[in-house]
Amino acid sequence: MNLSMTRRHFFGRAGIGAAALQSLLGAETLPHFAPKAKRVIYLFQSGGPSQMELFDYKPRLVDKYKTELPESVRMGQRLTGMSATQSTFPVVPSRFKFARHGQGGAWVSELLPHTAGIVDKIAIVKSVFTEAINHDPAVTFLQTGSQIAGRPSMGSWAVYGLGAEAKNLPGFVVMISPGQGTGGQPLYDRLWGSGFLPTRYQGVKFRSVGDPVLYLRDPEGFSREDRRAYLDTLGELNQARARELGDPEIATRIAQYEMAFQMQASVPELVDLSKEPAAIVDSYGPDARKAGTFAYNCLMARRLAERGVRFIQLYHRDWDHHGGLQNGLPKRCKETDQPAAALVNDLAQRGMLDDTLVLWGGEFGRTVYCQGRLTDDDYGRDHHPRCFTMWMAGGGVKPGMVLGETDDYCYNITADPLHVHDLQATILHLMGVDHTRLTYRFAGRYFRLTDVHGTVAKKLLV
Amino acid sequence: MREKIKFGLNVCLAQVFLLAQPVEFNRDVRPILSDRCFACHGPDAGNRKAGLRLDVETEAKKRLGKVYERISSTNLALRMPPQYAGHAALPAKDIDVLKRWIDQGAPWQPHWSFVAPKKPVSHSSIDGFVTSARNAPARPETLLRRVYLDLTGLPPSPAEVDAFALDPNYERVVDRLLASPEHAERMAARWLDGARYADTNGYQSDGVRDMWRWRDWVIDAYKANMPFDRFTIEQIAGDLLPNATLPQKIATGFHRNHRTNAEGGIVEEEFRVEYVADRVETTSTVWLGLTMGCTRCHDHKYDPLRQRDFYSMFAFFNNVPERGLVYNFGNDEPMIKAPTAEMATRLAELDRKLEAAEADWAGLQPRLAREQKKWEKMIRGDWAVGRGLVYSNVDTLRFDGKSAVDAGDKAKFDYMSPYSFSVWIKPESGDGAILSRNEDYWEGEGYGLYLKNGNIHFVATRRYTDISLRLETVDRVKLGDWQHVAFTYDGKRKGKGVHIWIDGKPAAIKTTFDELTYPFGPKVPFRIGGGGGLRFQGEIQRVKVFDRSLTEEESLSTGVVETLEELARVPAANRTAAQQAKLHLAFVETGISADERAVLSVLDTAQAERDKYYASIPTVMVMEEGPKRQAYILKRGAYDAQGEPVEAATPGMLQPMKPEWPRNRLGLAYWLVDKENPLTARVQVNRLWQMFFGQGLVKTVEDFGSQGEWPVHMELLDWLAVEFMERGWDLRAMEKLIVMSETYRQSSTASPEMWQRDPENRLLARGPRVRLAAPFVRDQALAASGLLVKKVGGPPVKPYQPPGLWQELGGGGYKEDKGEGLYRRSMYTYWKRTVGPPMLLNFDAATREGCTVRETRTNTPLQALNLMNDVAFLEAARRMGERMMREGSGDPASRIAYGWKLVLGRQPNQQEAAAALRAYERFLGRYRGDGAAAEAYLKTGESGRDLTLNTAELAAMATVASLILNLDEAVTKE
Repeated sequence: MNLSMTRRHFFGRAGIGAAALQSLLGAETLPHFAPKAKRVIYLFQSGGPSQMELFDYKPRLVDKYKTELPESVRMGQRLTGMSATQSTFPVVPSRFKFARHGQGGAWVSELLPHTAGIVDKIAIVKSVFTEAINHDPAVTFLQTGSQIAGRPSMGSWAVYGLGAEAKNLPGFVVMISPGQGTGGQPLYDRLWGSGFLPTRYQGVKFRSVGDPVLYLRDPEGFSREDRRAYLDTLGELNQARARELGDPEIATRIAQYEMAFQMQASVPELVDLSKEPAAIVDSYGPDARKAGTFAYNCLMARRLAERGVRFIQLYHRDWDHHGGLQNGLPKRCKETDQPAAALVNDLAQRGMLDDTLVLWGGEFGRTVYCQGRLTDDDYGRDHHPRCFTMWMAGGGVKPGMVLGETDDYCYNITADPLHVHDLQATILHLMGVDHTRLTYRFAGRYFRLTDVHGTVAKKLLV
Repeated sequence: MREKIKFGLNVCLAQVFLLAQPVEFNRDVRPILSDRCFACHGPDAGNRKAGLRLDVETEAKKRLGKVYERISSTNLALRMPPQYAGHAALPAKDIDVLKRWIDQGAPWQPHWSFVAPKKPVSHSSIDGFVTSARNAPARPETLLRRVYLDLTGLPPSPAEVDAFALDPNYERVVDRLLASPEHAERMAARWLDGARYADTNGYQSDGVRDMWRWRDWVIDAYKANMPFDRFTIEQIAGDLLPNATLPQKIATGFHRNHRTNAEGGIVEEEFRVEYVADRVETTSTVWLGLTMGCTRCHDHKYDPLRQRDFYSMFAFFNNVPERGLVYNFGNDEPMIKAPTAEMATRLAELDRKLEAAEADWAGLQPRLAREQKKWEKMIRGDWAVGRGLVYSNVDTLRFDGKSAVDAGDKAKFDYMSPYSFSVWIKPESGDGAILSRNEDYWEGEGYGLYLKNGNIHFVATRRYTDISLRLETVDRVKLGDWQHVAFTYDGKRKGKGVHIWIDGKPAAIKTTFDELTYPFGPKVPFRIGGGGGLRFQGEIQRVKVFDRSLTEEESLSTGVVETLEELARVPAANRTAAQQAKLHLAFVETGISADERAVLSVLDTAQAERDKYYASIPTVMVMEEGPKRQAYILKRGAYDAQGEPVEAATPGMLQPMKPEWPRNRLGLAYWLVDKENPLTARVQVNRLWQMFFGQGLVKTVEDFGSQGEWPVHMELLDWLAVEFMERGWDLRAMEKLIVMSETYRQSSTASPEMWQRDPENRLLARGPRVRLAAPFVRDQALAASGLLVKKVGGPPVKPYQPPGLWQELGGGGYKEDKGEGLYRRSMYTYWKRTVGPPMLLNFDAATREGCTVRETRTNTPLQALNLMNDVAFLEAARRMGERMMREGSGDPASRIAYGWKLVLGRQPNQQEAAAALRAYERFLGRYRGDGAAAEAYLKTGESGRDLTLNTAELAAMATVASLILNLDEAVTKE
């Protein structure tokens, strides 16, 4: 078995990942079973959108306005240092209206009219919960399965395990949009990093400023033909060296330079919207032609999915409404609601939703009690790890369902809790991967995305 | 899994050589038991199944027959490892190994790396232990470049290549390189990965820190070839050495390099525990090659390490007087001023100057006292402190508990600006606002001076619940009486920097909240009598605001209403301290002679200069031993689940601490470098081997436990380890030993069959051929182009980086340096932990989020794009092209050959020369035909191009230079 072969698969070409390659040695076959989702588009809403204002309708809170959160509900739950020393914890209900939508009659907020229009295509999970209470550990936990830096991200695991179909694009792509408010919480390279997996499995960030991929563009005064001639000479020199020394790594390098050359064409083609019908672009909303917006990134996500990219991770920032929720939250919704719904519809009309898993959600929820100053025209909510809402669509997820219940205070889960590790196990399951068997040995032990936990949420599956 | 494949392969390789030898427990049996059985039948008592343990000889031997029966069973219900838990059967060859071992009487061995190494007697040189047939020696020019890159991270210059061709005295080159500062930098660069060194904190908004003085300590240590035992002791416990020197204290920065969290709202203890745990894990990885992180939550599943061991080690690092929530804009306590030698000299100079000026001024005092008496007899009018006065309102203002006076956009102060107030109050109620720039509720953002319950309160707030400074006077003011209040704040964001005087007497202050860690922006105007949701009742008079922290004497003087004239009439003995202060200040400011003023001004200047210089001296975070914090076993590793208390101790499975060592970090350091310690020396020489050969003799450099790799050259490893200790932990001597060996000096050329058979060169039957580590890919280009600035140490620099990279993630703006900072060695590149330097990360640099000791290398198209199109490499290619034209002789072919020499340290062969010349001519034609394209192409980078050179020729030559820098050979050590 020529092991150097694995090194040639930067983008896991021909749908084979390194873990799958191992099946050639008879140890593990990937996917473990027929996948429902061939690819994932994760619309991460960074900062922690408030579940009470968006999906988890709590009409009875209106009567409890400004009353103290009872200890019987809080049950000693730790609070962040931001509100732990607050003298009072006044309950504040959503100041936005809710209505039932779709055949299932799911409650959706007036802030998300487009999402309301696709409720029959998505599954709303109101009972996701996490262990972390602050942004950095919580986002890291969701994306890597551990609160502490150093583990591979979900997308890295997917590409490591399954490779990708994309020929001239990375198997794992990341795109980021800031909220148009203060910008929001920062993000970190580790969220799409490969941890202890080889770095070729890390997410490649497609950027909205400069080259979409770092260093993609040739310098001024250096044409495509120049690059071709350059690479021909480089290839010739490297080939000669390979013949002399015998190191197969040189052949790999030659191939990687050719791949780079192809990417220089495929990435501009990807971001060229000239052949995209205007009606489609417009369906993603008024921002869809503006690079760096969530709408643009959603459209790109679909185009990446079409081209066989395995894991497409979007981040939209600025959902962290400790204060200013009343004005800030509608803005974030306006930025994201139409594009996210358009993406689901667009995938559906192309017949791609069946084998594309779309996820929407943040790193935790928000508290039912007000943080900071409660006034007639403003309020805020602190971080709340005990319950929050996500939605999932396509890729083997039961459409039109609502999973999970929370108590009247939207504080504790009362039915069908879904831990972050359960969510991760479910995502891998939909991709045809048994989360307990996708492992990597590092520092003396076998690591996996779900650590030693995680149960697939069977109720969510078609 | 990939590791496993290769591991299996190595076992196969080893077996080629060891076929038909008796089964050896450690080499053949333990890896099987460890990997397939220990998780349920090993050291972890919490998870042990059926009461069976196979990691302990006496226990295992009782039931070996049964074990064999179960592993070889074809009955799936009985077979081990169990089918029902998803485990695969043991492969036939493993079952065979176990059978043969049992047949041999199951001879047991303790795990090899937990027994102190003994010096093998079979050989006494590296080459003696490497028994495979050796390759031919590398060509001299190949060897020269190899040893240059290995020892300095830079290629040899053409002059050095030529000199070596004339006088191929290899050992002399080695000695020279080992003694060079470039070597010290190269060794330090490698140490930084394990030390998780960075210039930012690494969580959330990832604020800055200053640890470069520690980094320079590392460079200095390598420069001096500090023995590794001392290198260890000073970094782990330099502060605990008797009469610890400044460098010894700086050295302890090693264990303050971990990530720290400044995110508002975190639970402090959760993260403080995280920091201490990081120290345990890093120490065990870097020194011991143990994966102690596993034992944070439970007993180790493979090695005889208990959870108790983790927290006993934890106890060594638990007494640092540090906080879980750190300051986001600089170093956090404990920290020290860490002047360089140069700075210390300069500071001493300024101190001497200041002392002299103080002495001169003091000498004048008797004369001045006499003169003041005379002056007092003549003074008229009044005087008040004027310097720094930014607002003044002399009126008497009457407040009814509802209104406030809006003074506009005045007194705009932040958490890091010093300020002072002077005000007269006549309160009628114990609650009210005196002065404020705060929103109109108590928990609002801003600052204010208030009365509450009769006590004076000062509050400065960003977010009341966690980012705020709050303090109050112990005593109450009097209602219905006029009182003077003076307030000063030194702008250092701590309660201890606030002073309040009431009627000239210092007020006792109680700080109730001391966490002013972020800037705040006053959103409202400056108000008298209102703010914070409170209103004053009574009268306020003579409000003064200063944008500096007044001295005590000045503060006192602000409360004196009598004019100078009136004061002068009061007999000196009857004056209050405040009155004296006012007279004295007024005299010094207005009554002294020009000569005397000159003396004072020298003093003021000397003081200002000294203060300014002192403030500019960098600090470094260090270890300190505070009061003992009791350590506990933390259940599941959770900070809030304390179990049994534990005391500081080293792991029970290794050699005990000597009774004479203290049970603190210093004792731990002695224990680490004790000759009885079976791991430290082996782990260090193994990592050194990795540096030269691309991987360690034990490939799992981070894990010497039973899941670690069995070394193919065990005896060599032990010999090197003992040799290292016997030579007084002399690292440089070990490096020399390696690079002088024939094993190292072999050619790296190999037949396809050999590449196939031993792709990773585990048998050492050829020389190393390994891609350069990330920093050296760039350093080489800078060196070849002549751009490299060879300055050692100093603050980090910010070379080229694609714009917007930080902003996109919310990390603020990256401001590229100008000039020198663009061309320093990559180890000095500013390391923002959450968004690392893109070029270095592209080439597999460790992220520095945690300790990394394993070198990894991938080969990706992003690297190709990076080398072809990054401005750093384009500029280097252009400058290299200029050198080729200027320094290479005459014709294009010679110039191209010179380029080969600059990077590859050799002449191109005929085929290479021809291919490169064809490319040159192709691009020359292209750029002659399109001058504008050539101009545009040559514009890249900040350094201007050599305008004396022909544009088209330079553009073509720069292209060839870029080709050379992109060759596989260029980024590879051959």
